[in-house]
Amino acid sequence: MATVKVSEAEKVYILHGIRDDLRVDGRGCEDYRHVEIETDVVSNTDGSAKVTLGYTAVLVGIKADIGKPKPMVPNEGYLEFFVDCSANATPEFEGRGGEELGTELSNTLYKVFNNKHSVDLKSLCISAGEHCWVLYVDVLLLQCDGNLYDAISIAIKAALFNTKIPRVHISADEEGGKEIELSDDPYDCMRLDVENVPCIVTLCKVGHRHVVDVTLQEKACSVASLIISVTHKGTITCTRKVGGGSLDPESIFEMTEAGKRVGKALHAPLMALLQQEESLGKKRQKVGFLG
Amino acid sequence: MAGLELLSDQGYRLDGRKATELRKVQARMGVFAQADGSAYLEQGNTKALAVVYGPHEMRGSRSRTLHDRAVINCQYSMATFSTAERKRRPHGDRKSTEMSLHLKQTFEAAVMTQLYPRSQIDIYVKILQSDGGNYSVCVNAATLAVIDAGIPMRDYVCACTVGFVDETPLADLCYAEESGGVSSLALALLPRGGQIALLQMDARLHQDHLETLIEAAMTACKGVSKVLDQVVRQHLEEVSMLTGE
Amino acid sequence: MLKSKTFVKKTRSGGVMKIVREHYLRDDIWCGSEACTECKQESTELLKDACIESNLCSFPHYLVPDTNVVLHQIDVLEDPVIRNVIILQTVLQEVRHRSAPVYKRLKDIIHEKEKHFYTFTNEHHRDTFIEREPGETANDRNDRAIRVAAKWYSQHLKKFEADTDGLCVVLLTNDQGNKQKAEESGLLVYRFEEYIKSLIANPELVDRLALSNNDKNEITSSKVLFPEHLPLSRIQSGIKSGSFLQGTFRASRDNYLEATVFVQGEGEDSTEVLIQGLQNLNRAVHQDVVAVQLLPRNQWVAPSSVVLQDEGAAKDDAVEEGEEEKALKISAAEAARKPTGKVVGVIKRNWRPFCGMLNISQIKESTRHLFTPADRRIPRIRIETRQASTLAGQRIMVAIDGWPKSSRYPNGHFVRSLGGAGEKDTEQEVLLLEHDVPHQAFSQAVLSFLPKMPWAITPEDMAKREDLRHLTVCSVDPPGCTDIDDALHCRELENGNLEVGVHIADVTHFIRPGNALDKEAANRGTTVYLCGKRIDMVPELLSSNLCSLRSNVERLAFSCIWEMNQKAEILKTRFTKSVINSKASLTYAEAQMRIDDVTKNDETTKSLRGLNKLAKILKRGRIEKGALTLSSLEVRFHIDSETHDPIDLQTKELMETNSMVEEFMLLANISVAQKIYDEFPECAMLRKHPAPPPSNYDILLKAAKSKDVEIHTDSAKALADSLDVAKVDGFPYFNTLLRILATRCMMQAVYFCSGMDSDFHHYGLASPIYTHFTSPIRRSADIIVHRLLAVAIGADSTYPDLMDKHKQSALSNNLNYRHKMSQYGQTQAVGSQQQPQLQT
Repeated sequence: MATVKVSEAEKVYILHGIRDDLRVDGRGCEDYRHVEIETDVVSNTDGSAKVTLGYTAVLVGIKADIGKPKPMVPNEGYLEFFVDCSANATPEFEGRGGEELGTELSNTLYKVFNNKHSVDLKSLCISAGEHCWVLYVDVLLLQCDGNLYDAISIAIKAALFNTKIPRVHISADEEGGKEIELSDDPYDCMRLDVENVPCIVTLCKVGHRHVVDVTLQEKACSVASLIISVTHKGTITCTRKVGGGSLDPESIFEMTEAGKRVGKALHAPLMALLQQEESLGKKRQKVGFLG
Repeated sequence: MAGLELLSDQGYRLDGRKATELRKVQARMGVFAQADGSAYLEQGNTKALAVVYGPHEMRGSRSRTLHDRAVINCQYSMATFSTAERKRRPHGDRKSTEMSLHLKQTFEAAVMTQLYPRSQIDIYVKILQSDGGNYSVCVNAATLAVIDAGIPMRDYVCACTVGFVDETPLADLCYAEESGGVSSLALALLPRGGQIALLQMDARLHQDHLETLIEAAMTACKGVSKVLDQVVRQHLEEVSMLTGE
Repeated sequence: MLKSKTFVKKTRSGGVMKIVREHYLRDDIWCGSEACTECKQESTELLKDACIESNLCSFPHYLVPDTNVVLHQIDVLEDPVIRNVIILQTVLQEVRHRSAPVYKRLKDIIHEKEKHFYTFTNEHHRDTFIEREPGETANDRNDRAIRVAAKWYSQHLKKFEADTDGLCVVLLTNDQGNKQKAEESGLLVYRFEEYIKSLIANPELVDRLALSNNDKNEITSSKVLFPEHLPLSRIQSGIKSGSFLQGTFRASRDNYLEATVFVQGEGEDSTEVLIQGLQNLNRAVHQDVVAVQLLPRNQWVAPSSVVLQDEGAAKDDAVEEGEEEKALKISAAEAARKPTGKVVGVIKRNWRPFCGMLNISQIKESTRHLFTPADRRIPRIRIETRQASTLAGQRIMVAIDGWPKSSRYPNGHFVRSLGGAGEKDTEQEVLLLEHDVPHQAFSQAVLSFLPKMPWAITPEDMAKREDLRHLTVCSVDPPGCTDIDDALHCRELENGNLEVGVHIADVTHFIRPGNALDKEAANRGTTVYLCGKRIDMVPELLSSNLCSLRSNVERLAFSCIWEMNQKAEILKTRFTKSVINSKASLTYAEAQMRIDDVTKNDETTKSLRGLNKLAKILKRGRIEKGALTLSSLEVRFHIDSETHDPIDLQTKELMETNSMVEEFMLLANISVAQKIYDEFPECAMLRKHPAPPPSNYDILLKAAKSKDVEIHTDSAKALADSLDVAKVDGFPYFNTLLRILATRCMMQAVYFCSGMDSDFHHYGLASPIYTHFTSPIRRSADIIVHRLLAVAIGADSTYPDLMDKHKQSALSNNLNYRHKMSQYGQTQAVGSQQQPQLQT
């Protein structure tokens, strides 16, 4: 469900709770819901991750392909984003119903992730001006229960961490033509450095307080929200106000501070989790959707 | 380079199965909380999610309302990363539209739609990973989702894709077999009555072989139905344990 | 159900695509050994007392060869002595990938019950499957897989040690590293040569060993004689960029220092590149697919007209060659020069075992000898044998193993002996082998599908067929013909029109689709007439008895019946399965005599006269349309004859009856072709004859020009007309000679499947569509056509392969190949130069 209808009485109940830092499900204002992360869930992608955040569920698959670098930056590869708001999440998305939201999400993701401060785009270059790796990051929305940005950003970071790009050898023949050969050893692959990849924190202004990880009910009570992308060092790389309604500058500053705090705290456990999963290697029992 | 040998002299297929063996089928019901019914099913490397909403009031134009039964509305889509070569869009192409139609026809034959006049049942299936037999896997996943939603059906609908190589029918084709020049046939069966809900074949096949091929498909579908039945029973056990009955 | 765990194999191809395939492991793959009491197998291949007497292994043992052993030593593995061999799936797959011919031979061995070869599906066995490890190459992994499987076997067999006399497995590999690792893991392992040499009872096997790399160095001097072949990757990029051309290497029959490379271009556009001199030929062998580089234009040469045979003792230095090569380089006129190039690499070898004779080395003790193949286009081959004195004077078969750049000759090994040279049987065998004509006696399996004798037409047969026994049918054939597959009749109808029938032996009544008899016939493709012997396509009972439309017996036939008016225009055509009773089997001469004898007025003669009259009209019509009459049966007849005297040409003019029969066969074939194509546009088997490219006519034009005669080759009609007027006074045979030359300009007519081609035209007959229907006893294309026609008229049912255009097409290719080979064989047998005949 992308939206729910909340009655006036319910709204008051939610608002009062938040005022007292006690939300409907018992969380405080800066608490996340239960998050589950699993990587390498789709075996025919080069990297994938499944993230559930409360009832929100997203699946991210990354495919690496060889393309031509953008003329402005001949020595860098790039990322492409596509968000599929599928009808599985809600019947409203059937047909072309999800396209608008999908475009909005993917545009934001493009701004947040496709720059050399987040991902080392230079390492994606194969031969300057001719060939580079293009990472197609495809997000599949399976269930919506609020806070899509955060869930998606966590999933993307996890999937990028999981991505294995086959190593290539460039052999030039005497005529100057270049032949790209892929390494035939499945273990011979390149990993991405995801340390600087930011996470997105969405803060909603509900009443006078700023709440992270809102559920759909809470969202219905909020006027407007601010998304902030934060790196592990606490650097803010992007902010953006989303939704109808308006915010005063004062609360934007407050929200930014809160977002910085929450976002910084998010990275360390996420990385620890990903590394732990990686260390299990082939022994790990894959759960996917069967668990 | 020589093409693939789909069936070795020793009777093994590319992936090591024998001609009549199905791929490993694993499934789970009730994967999502928000939908009325949902299920995840994988058959080898083909993985599908099915979600059911309804029966509910007609959405959108009322003109499609049927006064004696429910309307079945299906949408088939594929994740953009599901195929070896990335797809540009998840649905809306000719093939997905056709697939949606086939699903609709299959479930119209199986769901007891007359119990819900003037309402609508939505069945959405998504292929997460594709390795042959997409239609069959979707049908099987959707069957579980419909059961999860508690909508009465005449019987399980089980589907399987079979192919014909070297005078031998092969059950449950994987992608390498489907694309390796095998004439394939997809069949959806209501196993108890032995009724066929859908039969589709696009390739050339001599009429003499059709019977053996359909026979093999039906046997394979019955195999699938056993697995589905097991999944349903296990799910019920777990649920009843949770609710403490 | 599956008891297996899923593994994932990843392969990347083409662009960047991640392909994931499932890989199931099983625990129901059995070992195939008779000694085993643990595996639940239904049948076993490997014997319990697997004994080959060897002084290395005195106990029973199974052999496990690795991939390279199979690839290089298949000749030895084929020997009946080598039995009880385990072929691992890993090996089988690698062989399949690397060499199609060896793969086929290996499969044949596996199928042979007597050989006790067992294929172990180790890649899907739970205990023998291994995953590639980081840093391991694909080859290393496969070697390891082979070792793991061998290890598994040795442990598995150990369990039954008590009652098997210490049965174990022996790994055979020529790879040092692999051998060492295998020894470390406690396996019994030998080099292949080592093992074969240890066989006590069979010393002759040693000769058949292919030479491995180590041995080659001993034989040849270290001097490099040839330029290095380029690696495949360089060749491919060269071909892509256009600096190299890919083509089939065709050695010259007459000059061992010259060859052409036939480069297939886009569509019809193909070129020939001339190659001259040993260095430029660069170890390519006839029929190899090679890459050539064109030389600069100023180095182009003209084909030489010198005949050069590579003769005499082995030459190891280039001095003599230099002399001979000089002889080639006679300054040729600028115009005669052709694109000339050099071979830079071999893309695919097309070596097969070659028949020929051994030249014994002059050094008495030497074990290395030169072998001269019967086919002059194949270079001499150096082999190593200890039985040279026995083999001298015999026809033997030899296979090439390799051709190092430091060796003047390719290295090979002895395969088998065919018998003493000059003996009729041996020579015939050589001829048949060289032309790949299947000539073994029919197997029991094939014979079992023959009808039981005494045979008679049953009432059921009668009920389904039209009874045409009352018609005055007769056959006209060459003298001594026992396989009569066609008969004719002609009678006047009440309305004044004529009814003409062509009755063809109903072979498909006896040969049912898919059985061993049918498969054998399809494989043989055609009956071959060689050295006065007939190598039948179908067993004699059918060819000379039940299917032969002899006189005064009831025979089943497939009839094509037309109603024609007196102007030979077809008014109605129908086809039917029938029963006929031929009234007379005549020779061409007898038939001619009857027609000419005005006193005779019996039914048969009247029928013949009617036919003859219509045939003349038909022939005229055909020639007007531009059909060529080149196929000079009469000419071949004469070159066959002892005298080689051209005076004879004129006297043996074809009799009218020859062309009478031919006309009606053509008519039947065309009618049937139309019918089956209408009914089965996708899978009709037809025959086409492409128009030759203009350059083919060069020799004809040149010859004609020498006598100031002009020949037009724009169309078949123009050619036919200009041939008709091409006469030179005082040179009566000139015209005939031109016609023979024209025949040589023609393309080969071929069978094809209508669904796979769009050009159906038969150039020689000037017919838009054509097929073969009239000789099902001796051509298997006709059998297919009979079946198609039977389905078209509802007399028989279809079967899957008949409707499968790919299988039809594959069959056509086999028939074309057999047809071509048998023609080469036949022409070679009569000692004349090969000449593609314009076959009708």
